[in-house]
Amino acid sequence: MRKVLFYIPLLAFLGLSLFLLSGLFSDPRERDSAIIGKPLPQFALPDLMSPEQIWTPENLKGEAYLLNVWGIWCPTCNAELGYMSQLRNEQGVRIIGLYYVLPEDPMFGEVFDLAKLQADVQSRLQAFGDPYQFNILDRQRRLSLDLGVSGAPEHFIVDANGIVRAHHIGDINPQVWRSKLAPIYQQWAAKP
Amino acid sequence: MIPEFGQLTLTFAFALSVLLGVIPLIGSYTANERALLVAKPLSVGLFVFTLLAFLALSWAFYHDDFTVINVASNSSSILPWYFKLTATWGSHEGSMLLWVMILAAWTALVAQYSKGLPLLMQGRILGIMGLINVGFIAFSLFMSNPFERSLPFYPVEGSDLNPLLQDYGMIIHPPLLYMGYVGFAVSFAFAIAALLGGKFDSTWARWARPWTLAAWLFLTLGIMLGSWWAYKELGWGGWWFWDPVENASFMPWLVGTALIHSLAVTEKRGTFKSWTVLLALGAFSLSLMGAFLVRSGVLVSVHSFAADPERGVFLLIFLLLVIGGSLLLYASRMHSVRSQARYELFSREVMLWGNNVFLLTATLVVLLGTLFPLVHKELGLGSISIGEPFFNQMFYYLNIPFALLLGLGPWVRWKQQKAAPLLKPLSLVAIFALILALGTMAATQSIAANLALLGLLLGAWVGVSALFEIYQRLQQFGSVTAGVAKLQASHYGMTVAHIGFAVMIVGIAMTLTYSEERDVRMAIGDRVVLAGYEFELQDVYKLNGPNYGGEAAELDVRTVDGRYVTHLHAEKREYNIQRMVMTEAAIHARLSRDLYVSLGEALPGNAWAIRVYVKPFVRWIWLGGLLMAIGALISLLDKRYRRTGTQAGAQHA
Repeated sequence: MRKVLFYIPLLAFLGLSLFLLSGLFSDPRERDSAIIGKPLPQFALPDLMSPEQIWTPENLKGEAYLLNVWGIWCPTCNAELGYMSQLRNEQGVRIIGLYYVLPEDPMFGEVFDLAKLQADVQSRLQAFGDPYQFNILDRQRRLSLDLGVSGAPEHFIVDANGIVRAHHIGDINPQVWRSKLAPIYQQWAAKP
Repeated sequence: MIPEFGQLTLTFAFALSVLLGVIPLIGSYTANERALLVAKPLSVGLFVFTLLAFLALSWAFYHDDFTVINVASNSSSILPWYFKLTATWGSHEGSMLLWVMILAAWTALVAQYSKGLPLLMQGRILGIMGLINVGFIAFSLFMSNPFERSLPFYPVEGSDLNPLLQDYGMIIHPPLLYMGYVGFAVSFAFAIAALLGGKFDSTWARWARPWTLAAWLFLTLGIMLGSWWAYKELGWGGWWFWDPVENASFMPWLVGTALIHSLAVTEKRGTFKSWTVLLALGAFSLSLMGAFLVRSGVLVSVHSFAADPERGVFLLIFLLLVIGGSLLLYASRMHSVRSQARYELFSREVMLWGNNVFLLTATLVVLLGTLFPLVHKELGLGSISIGEPFFNQMFYYLNIPFALLLGLGPWVRWKQQKAAPLLKPLSLVAIFALILALGTMAATQSIAANLALLGLLLGAWVGVSALFEIYQRLQQFGSVTAGVAKLQASHYGMTVAHIGFAVMIVGIAMTLTYSEERDVRMAIGDRVVLAGYEFELQDVYKLNGPNYGGEAAELDVRTVDGRYVTHLHAEKREYNIQRMVMTEAAIHARLSRDLYVSLGEALPGNAWAIRVYVKPFVRWIWLGGLLMAIGALISLLDKRYRRTGTQAGAQHA
């Protein structure tokens, strides 16, 4: 009995290292999204390319879609444009962009210039591929905040009734799409 | 050329560490004296080569050699020269090299100052140090090479050192902290050598004591400096954040503190043997665990280096070998060891056992609080975070009995203590402490039953008790003046360290209770009153530093009745290359309070957001830590650690 006692520290350490090992292969920043199963937050935001068009949760309803939070300042977002274009063209996935505007810092002489942004986005999409049906401009980052976005790119699957069904932090690549997002998307895209 | 030279010397150091890890250990089993004797020159050589590697990297930083990836991503040509040098350990790769260099330095020190040790023991200890060196040098060399070049295409300018690290704190915080972490490797090696030899008399404890004290001294200073740095640099007046990485340094400190006390029992009474060995293994194991947590990216922290699962896997395997191996050895060897010493329930032994119980409970609290979010998530239960309220509450509860025990402990004799002789002096201490605590409170604040009063009472109890105890001990030499020279240095050290703990408790309790802060919008000429001080914003102007711009604010502080106190200068810096904004808070420090102002954003209408704090007794926290470190230093000066031969210390029962 006394002998067993002396093995306790070893066993405790081995148990702990199992968790450390599995911790190595998961991202500590990954969180369960609080928004899954809830409707999109209320918003009324302009279209990036034609700002007179105002988008609200209501006029997005009718068909499931993938909402992609992105910006041209985010290299990973640019990298995934190609694969997402493929998804749009080959599988007919409806992808809507939520353009995240970086806060301007007047200290560094930055101002918001819509015309320049539109031109930059246009050239970026021509270079890497354009997966978007359209882009919503989140100038004040209000909607991104309400969605619980912590970085870019992030993706939400929203069903035809405007309910959020999945939240993915990070880029979409063939593996992520097949194993994580495609089943959910297909499930909700199939329903009217 | 120089970086290649550095890489070459690091490779030589690797070869030497392999030899050191193999030859003396084999020699210790084949009783080959020559194999044992080779340990010392190998250790010194190992240190020389790691030092050369480190100097080579520093040279690359000093001369802006941007062909080295590490330099290009952590330095820039406009950085002042002293920050270029400290940028050497600003990255994962560089700090790993610093770690390796310090580990080799400890190895060489043990080799130099172990003349009194039997050759067999010396060879085993150095051999184990050698094996630890193998692991870390391999990690540095193969998994995070600091000398890697980006030729032929290299940047003409570096991407600058993280502005958070451009501070004088950075110059000495990491080296001190690493001295502490790595220093526990020496206690670890002593414990393993004792396990291998199967001899657990009090001698190994006496040999291990000064090394443990030295490591603990550096760790204490390192943690304290880190706390002070965060207070100064992060701009919101906090001094401890329960950040996973702070916790990772706090755990070895707690176990190290328990180890120092437990070693005393093992040395003087020959008991608590298995316990002390376990603590010696634990202190270094937790240091390793800390290194793993910081460098593998399993936890989110402000301190984290870039996460890389491959590095994490390497470190985890190393952890399994070192910690798992040593605990296996412990389990197989230690169960047959029994102590003969007898002691009563009311004795110094039991007091120190209590100390160990509280310190280890505290370690467990920190360990659970730090790792529980990880475990919770890996079990698929979702993400949670454990923060300040949990730790603070647990530490309130732990500290009350701990401080009460600490005031009592030094009075109690070894083996057996009768309660009656202690009643009179301890009631005196209690009465005096009560008067002191209430007096201090009445003088600085109004008397109220709150956390501050509790802290003052506990602090006064510990402090007054420590002073009375040493006074009474001095009297036992006949007269106090005669006793001053005769009392052992380690007794003075203990008293100073315990007073340090008392000072720290008072500081923490007062700061937590009476700190006041306000976030205000101020235009030039505006005034704000806080805790009896009036702050007037006099001027805000543009800054022009070597690698940063930004704004600086000038404030005058007066008491409410108009007496001038001080002038404060707060800065908000924008670092051009990394585009980061840093606050340089203005602090006016006095023993009884800090005035702390940090400059925020510019607001419309030529005004600024300014945060003003008055933090009573906050200095006491670091003063307490400093006193603890000084206590350790005084104990280290004790003569009996410098005596050679095995008879030393026997007469100090």
